[in-house]
Amino acid sequence: MVSTAEIQRCVEAALPGARVQVADTTGGGDHFEVQVSADAFKGKGLVEQHQLVYGALASLMPRIHALSLRTQVPEEKVK
Amino acid sequence: MSDVIEEIEREIHSSPVFIYMKGTPSFPMCGFSAATVEVLREIGVPFKSVDVLAEPEKRDAIKVYTKWPTIPQVFVGGKFIGGCDIVREMHAKGELAPLIKAAAKS
Repeated sequence: MVSTAEIQRCVEAALPGARVQVADTTGGGDHFEVQVSADAFKGKGLVEQHQLVYGALASLMPRIHALSLRTQVPEEKVK
Repeated sequence: MSDVIEEIEREIHSSPVFIYMKGTPSFPMCGFSAATVEVLREIGVPFKSVDVLAEPEKRDAIKVYTKWPTIPQVFVGGKFIGGCDIVREMHAKGELAPLIKAAAKS
């Protein structure tokens, strides 16, 4: 089993300042929905953005059965 | 492993759209694979697929090749474009069909 807090901690450690939301979709500790908003995604394609998150979660992935991921660059402040 | 990687490189260029999935398009063995096939069907594009459950060595090799830990994996014009989440997101934004049509022409 993996906890939502573990996932959150791993992503935040790898992507400082990231906003991370994690939901355990079945309550079983192995199906998750993760949303990440981070400055580190700027200028990167979706594949690279997701690879950054998967990289952060590499140590947990063997224990995770399903992970749905959504990444975005934080909305820029209106000038 | 290198033989398998060579085979993967041949496969991804063998069709404008190629997908590594669990199960087959008719009998997907995983919800994410099923959802990805569904998107491709909506776009109405022919595609080829490999069932990684039937080829465990390829299942490991494809993850190394793309540095991507999950299945399904979708290739358009020989280029890795992502898994289920990205395909669905691109389709929702109307970005996937044009990309596939451009790959089908070239």
